[in-house]
Order: sequence, then structure tokens, then C-alpha cells
Amino acid sequence: MLREPLTSSRSPRPSPIQRWSESLTGWALVGPGAVLILVFGGLPVLMSLTLSFQKSDLLSTDAPWVGFDNYRKLATDPLFVEAIKHTLVYTALFVPGTMLVGLLVAVAMNRSLRFISVYRTAAYLTMAVSTISQGIIFMWLTDQNYGLVNAALNTVGIESQPFLSSPSQALYVIVAMTIWGWTGFAVIIYLAALQAVPAELHEAAAVDGASRLTRFRTITVPLLGPANLFLLVWLSINALQLFDEVYLTTRGGPLRSTSVIVYYLWDQAFVQFNAGYAAAMAYALFVVVVIITAVQFRITRKYVHNT
Amino acid sequence: MAQVEFRDVTRRYTRELTALRNLDLVVSDGEFLVLVGPSGCGKSTALRLLAGLDTPTSGDVKIDGATVNHLGPGQRDIAMVFQNYALYPHMSVYQNLAYGLRQRKTPRREIDQRVRDTAALLEIDALLDRKPGQLSGGQRQRVAMGRALVRRPRAFLLDEPLSNLDAKLRTQVRGDLKRLHREVPVTSIYVTHDQVEAMTLGDRLCVMANGEVQQIGTPDDIYSRPANTFVAAFMGSPPMNLVPGLVRGGTLHIGDVPVMEVAAPDGAVTVGARPEHLQLRPDSEPGVLAARVDFCERLGSHVLVHALVELAGDDGPVRMILQAPAEADHDAGSRIAVGLNPDRTHLFDGETGNARRNRARVLMSNGPSLPI
Amino acid sequence: MSSTTELAIDTVLDDAKEELPAAPRRRRLPFSPWHLVLIPLTFVLIAPLVWMLITSLQTHAEATHFPPVLVPQHPRFQNYADAWAAAPFGHFLLNSLIVTLVVLVSNLVVCSLAGYAFARVRFLGRGALFLTLMATLMVPFQVTMIPVFLIVKWFGDNVWDALGIDHIGALMLPNLATAFGVFFLRQFFTTIPVELEEAARVDGTSRLGVLFKIVLPLSLPAMSTLAALTVLTSWNDFMWPLIVVTSTDQMTIPLGLSYFQGAHNTQWPLLMAANVMSLVPMLAVFLVAQKYFVQSVASTGLKG
Repeated sequence: MLREPLTSSRSPRPSPIQRWSESLTGWALVGPGAVLILVFGGLPVLMSLTLSFQKSDLLSTDAPWVGFDNYRKLATDPLFVEAIKHTLVYTALFVPGTMLVGLLVAVAMNRSLRFISVYRTAAYLTMAVSTISQGIIFMWLTDQNYGLVNAALNTVGIESQPFLSSPSQALYVIVAMTIWGWTGFAVIIYLAALQAVPAELHEAAAVDGASRLTRFRTITVPLLGPANLFLLVWLSINALQLFDEVYLTTRGGPLRSTSVIVYYLWDQAFVQFNAGYAAAMAYALFVVVVIITAVQFRITRKYVHNT
Repeated sequence: MAQVEFRDVTRRYTRELTALRNLDLVVSDGEFLVLVGPSGCGKSTALRLLAGLDTPTSGDVKIDGATVNHLGPGQRDIAMVFQNYALYPHMSVYQNLAYGLRQRKTPRREIDQRVRDTAALLEIDALLDRKPGQLSGGQRQRVAMGRALVRRPRAFLLDEPLSNLDAKLRTQVRGDLKRLHREVPVTSIYVTHDQVEAMTLGDRLCVMANGEVQQIGTPDDIYSRPANTFVAAFMGSPPMNLVPGLVRGGTLHIGDVPVMEVAAPDGAVTVGARPEHLQLRPDSEPGVLAARVDFCERLGSHVLVHALVELAGDDGPVRMILQAPAEADHDAGSRIAVGLNPDRTHLFDGETGNARRNRARVLMSNGPSLPI
Repeated sequence: MSSTTELAIDTVLDDAKEELPAAPRRRRLPFSPWHLVLIPLTFVLIAPLVWMLITSLQTHAEATHFPPVLVPQHPRFQNYADAWAAAPFGHFLLNSLIVTLVVLVSNLVVCSLAGYAFARVRFLGRGALFLTLMATLMVPFQVTMIPVFLIVKWFGDNVWDALGIDHIGALMLPNLATAFGVFFLRQFFTTIPVELEEAARVDGTSRLGVLFKIVLPLSLPAMSTLAALTVLTSWNDFMWPLIVVTSTDQMTIPLGLSYFQGAHNTQWPLLMAANVMSLVPMLAVFLVAQKYFVQSVASTGLKG
């Protein structure tokens, strides 16, 4: 009796014809997706590598091989070092800032009240706001002459600040702006994590005599470990890739004080047309991202506590 | 150890939903009391009110004579074993056991002593360094018990602690619990929907349904002298047979068969008889019910005969279950005669058209030699 | 000897006289005090958006008044018409719609086919191919953007110029399928019990029929979640359009808005009106499909 070939592992060994037919079906289904991803996601990785060893102005076909020159230049380029510094400062403020704000808001919203869904929607809303819109709003809010923030500062006796026009303040304004933009994301993650803590655990801790604060400290916070790790990694990787807001608000200025890695990269590639050099820079960034992801992977493996 | 008391405790959520109504119950010092009933009967609500995880709408919860309504769960000096154990997943077994003691600022050496003693008692001392995720269901259950025991609470609350275990483990742990309570007789309030657990573990049972107490008594009281048809049907497996009957002129009739003499006023009644108290009689005997065998369940040690008893009137046949010795063999469809034992027959008030469902009062357990 | 037994319910000895009956805890306020925390908090979170809205209805004089005017005298809705006329917003909106729609449909179709194949079809090289595709997830956009620019340029020069530089085709082409989409749907498909598919096969459904008649209908939640994420990323994408498009009639909304800002950067009410118009579509979609947006974030948090 001829049996229909099934995919479960319990089925008997399929004949060679059946296996080829399966494979053909598989390739046909996977084909379009695989081609698209490989052409636009895989091939470019190799092309970029090649490019990083060339001197290219992107548009002409003349691209002489220069070996590791681009990488050597990276190591000694003061503008690149400066961009790294700014990016690191930005990351060091943005990541913990977003996590803290997200956690506080999530804790406040982790209760069932009337209208709680309205409050939560408002918190999530910032997720839908594009980076450009964020930038424009905050440029307006922090405008040196007419901005609302300066008006508020004036009422408490502080004089108007230049904010985005000031080399010493601009980066911090961008930090604030992006924290606002990412809060919704962090709140979603933390809220999901908080709600994953079974109510019974809190009850057991209460019966054991722990006060509300102690329960938060000893039960809730440790169980947020995975969420914390995820946010740390995800936000850091995004922080390293900061571009849109910088482009819109300051174009890397004033006086290059907001020059971050990806802005410098983009400038080199599409304004200065030093494509090879930019590719090398991109690869350096790539390596850092891989390292961060690998470290995360290691830590999640060790972090085994099942509920 | 302490006495626990519910005095007229009610817990109401909305106008329509009252989870617990006028509970009056005293649990003596060291007693093992089981709250038993179907889902939604209010037993878990009562437990949570005692634990302090919920507040009564009215009434007092008292421990050792003092009202504790306004005390939080951590201040009542009670310990609880949760249905899903609620072990702290990020802490080791040792830390789980020690948590409650640490909250009470117990000195470290004493904590260590007590944790290890309790772990030894429950035979989990080899697991102290493991995390809950690495334990089996039975082991987790013991850790949950240990966490409660180590606190030496005034009262021990258990919320269906066996329901997540497989059948074999359940039987074993039941025995462990009984032995444990003998060695460490803490006042215990145990909630379950399983009447076997209730019967075997409880010093006394409190049977509940729909937020109300149906009966409080020892297992024997509950089994042999059920207060109403609910208790009668709920306790015992297979359940007690309940059939409608009529008392007329001092005689109990089932269908149109006069079954026995009773000293009860005329009126409709519900007649109760347990399977093991029914007998197969020769059909020539007076007072037996004619029936037809539906099917038999052979259990090895005995046989359960499912029979259909024909009553007069247009109501269909009534199903009754009899317990017969292992050798009995009756084909489906064969005719039999069912005899009731006057000493072991229960009568319940058969209120008709009434607002209270099946709530009847025992009128009569008849017969000369009646154990009360 | 007959006896009457009465119902036995234990009665409690009434000994405590001094205690008052317990009353349920009474709130001092008719509502939970947490509202007093949440309302200001929520307000602070959406304050920037509110301020944007208010400014968009102000006259230029009101906007440049310092200290700021909090409530405009007469809301100037004309600002919106002016903004619309000052830049080709019609084009921006249309382009965004077309690009997002095409990318959405393409992703849903291509990624579900591929995801299903990875989940349920045994083909040669499946494991290696999957790993390779997933590896591309780790590559930041900046690494691929330069070569993709070149690839897209090649397409524009050699295949169809609508796919090339400075055309919206170039915005769609690299995003027609994402490794994330494939991964996400594959994970989901593996959670559907294989017995369902087997039962259908035994009943005579074809190999592909199972995908369309059994698996996809059951995958609506996952598809909706992926759809939400795809729409959001595509609509708000800025950097790639910036690289590829320079003509205003090919710009999408984020790029168009940044162009508008460059041209009118001191005309605040006008700029805010443009901003509001740009935000409304995405906010509206978000509010309607909020559940799926939230899920899309939560599921990236649980990936792996």
C-alpha cells in the first residue's frame, strides 16, 4: 500500500524519489526569500569586505586595491576616534537612562486599574513616532529663543540655554530625545517581564513576611534579569548605530560635538565618496556588534533559572 | 500552634457574586481540618482570608482568640503551601527555605540549623543547593512544604498541594502528610476538592458548596450521617444513590413499592443508600425494588452493578449502583431485585418547587439499632 | 427505639464581646491613589506631542512669542493647508503608502513560504541555508548599505530604472524579504502541532494545500504581529531613503519631512503642522493595531 509521504519523524524512511520531491518543494518555497536575503543581506557583506580593501569613490569603476590601508587610517584618524568617544558617551547615558525610565513607568503601570489601558497606550505611543518627527519636536522644544523648555527654566530662574546650538549640550539633548523615543519599547519589555512573575510568588513572599519594597528587591528585580539583558544588548546595538536624529538636528555639529560613528561613516561614504574607507569603518562597527551579541549569547546560556 | 476561628465570615465581590457566606468554624489547636467541596464552593476563598491575602466583607478571622482582619499575611505568623508551590525560581532550595526566616531577622546560625533540620525531615537535604527548575514535581512539593514548616508557624495552610502530582505520588505524599502531622502537630487547614484526600487526612471535615458550609464533622460523621443530599452525594465513591420517595402513613414508598416502616411525617422525601449498603435480594421478598442490570464494572475486589430501577409513573427509570461480591455475575438486561438495609438508609426532605436546590434536612434514619 | 436526628452544624461559642465587627478597608478617595501618579506621568510622556499639536495651530507671531503662548487665540487650521502646499506632501504620502504596502505584502508572502519550508519541509541544505540567512541578522545596516547602493544602481541601470537610484523601487527592493521575518514565522510554524498537517495529508490535501488551508489560517496572530512590525519599520525608515533618493517626488514621509524642515526650519507652526500630518497615519495605525505592535516588541524580546 502506497503511503503518502509525511514530514513527521515517525514516518518510515522515504524513498529517494520522495526525498528529491521534498527537496524540490523546499527549494521552490525557500527560493524567493533566500535569493532576496542573500542578494541584499549576504552578498553585500562580502562586497563590503572587498570594498574596505580598496580605494573607491563609489561611482566610478576605478577602485585600486590598497590592502589594509583603510584600516590603518581608521586607527589613527582623529575624527574617527572623536566619533567613537561621542558614541560611547551617548551609549553610556542612553542605555541606562532608557532602562531606568522604562522600568519606572512599567512598574507604575503594572496594576489593574480603570483606564490602565489608556495609560499604557500613551506610554507605548512613542514607539510609533519616527526619528525625524522626534527630532523636529525636540528641536522646537529646546529652541534657544522660543522653546518651551527654556520658558520653563526661566520661570525657576535659570537662564535660557542654547541646547542644540551648544557644543557642550547638544549631545545630551539627543540623549534625552532618544530616551523619550525608546521609552515605549522599554516599557513593553518590562511590563511583559513584570507580568510574567506569577502572582503566587508575591503572595508566598508576603506570607513569608516580606514588605512590598523587599518583595520588589528580592523577588521582582532578580526575575527581571533576562529583560535587563535583552534591553542592554538591544539598546546598546541601536545606540552604536545612532544616525537619524543627529542628521536631522545637528548634522554632527555644532563643532562636530555630536559626530557619532554612523554619521561619520555616512558622511564618508555618501558625501565625501570615500567608499572604501567607509566600508572599513562599517566593518569595525560590525565586529563590535558581533562581540556584544556573542557575549549576550554566552550570558543567556549561563543564566538558567526556570520558573 | 494556635486555635483558628472564622466567625460569621462573608466575602462578597459584587451584588451578584458572594464567594463565601457566613462561615462559622473553629479549628482547635493542633487539629487537621479539611475544607472540601467542588470548584467555586468558597474553600480557597476561606483559606486566603485566613492567610491575609484577602479581606472579609464582614465577620472576623481570629487566630488564638485575637482578630487578625487588619493584619497583613506576613504578620499573622501563618505559613502556606500553594497549589503551584510558588517557589522562588532564582533562589536555591536552601534560600527558598531560609527566606521567611530571614525576613524575621532570625540569626544566621539558627536559620542554618532550622533549614537543615527541616530539610532532613522532608528528605530534601541533598537538594539544598539546587534551584527549583532542577527539581521534579514531588521534590518541589516537599520544598514548598519545607518552606512552610521551617517557620514553625501558628497555623499551616495548604491549598490543594497534591493536585499537581501524578496519582501514585499523590498517594505516597498523602501518607507522608499524615505521618508528618503526627510528628509535628501544627494546626492545619487543608483545602481540596478530592474527597478521598479529605476523608483520609482530616481530623474533621468542612464540606462546602456555593459559598456555604454544608456540614462540619469527622470523616465518619460526614460519611455515615450526611446532613443533606449534597454531602451525601459528594462524599463517597461511587456516590450515594439518591432516589425520590414518598412517606405515607408511616411507610416509605419508592415508586409504588412499600419498602420499609419509618417514623416520619408524610411527605415527599429523597432516599439515600450507599452502594455497599444495597443488596441483591430474591424478587419474592417484600420491599425490594425491581430493576434491570445496565452494566457491571468488575474491579477485582468487588463488582459495581449499575442498575435501572423502574419506578411507577412517567419519570424514567432511576439509576442505582450496587456493590456486589467479586463472584457476582449479571448479564446486561437481566432482572434483579434491590433491597435496602433499614439500618443504613437515609431520608432527606424532598422539598419540591423550592428555592434552595437539594438542600434537605434529614428526617429519619430508621431501624432499631441505629448508631448515632 | 427511634430517634430524630437534627442537622448538625457546629455553632461557635460566642465568647468574645469586646471586639468590633470587622469593616472592609475604606478608601479615603473614591478611586485608587495610583491615578494621581499615572496621570501626570502619562502627561509628561505625551507632552511633546501635545505641544507639537498646539504649536501647529498657532500663528507665527504666537509661536515666536516668548514666553510661549500655551493656548492659541484662534486655532489656525490654515497652517495645515499651507504646509501641504509648501512641499509635495501628496507625493510623500503616496510614496510611503506604496512602498510600505509592497514591502508588507512581499514580506508576508515570501517569508511565510520560506518559513514554512524551513519548519516543515526536509530539503537538502536546509540547515546550512538557515544558519547563513540568520547570520545576516547580526550584520548592521551600515555594513550592507554601501554595496546595496551599488546593487540597486545596477538594477536601475540594467533591469528597470524604476528600481534604481532616486526611484521608490529602490526603497522596496532590498526590503522585500527580511531574515527576521523568515525566522519569526518559522518559529511560529513549528509550534503548530504537526498532527494537524498530517491529518490533512491523510485526508488527501496536497503538500502546498496544507500550507494554505491549515497552517496559514492558524497563523493569523503571528502574521499580524509581523505585519505590524514591518509596517512600522518600513514607514519610519529614514537612512536608506536618504541615501537613495534625492528628488522630492520620490521621497517618503520621513525623508520629505526632513527636507521640509531644511527648507522651512524657522517657520515653526508650519513645520509642526507638517509633522502632525506625517505622524497621524502611523499613530492611527498604531492605535488600531496596538495589540500587534506590542506583541511584535515582546516577541523580539523573547527571540532565540
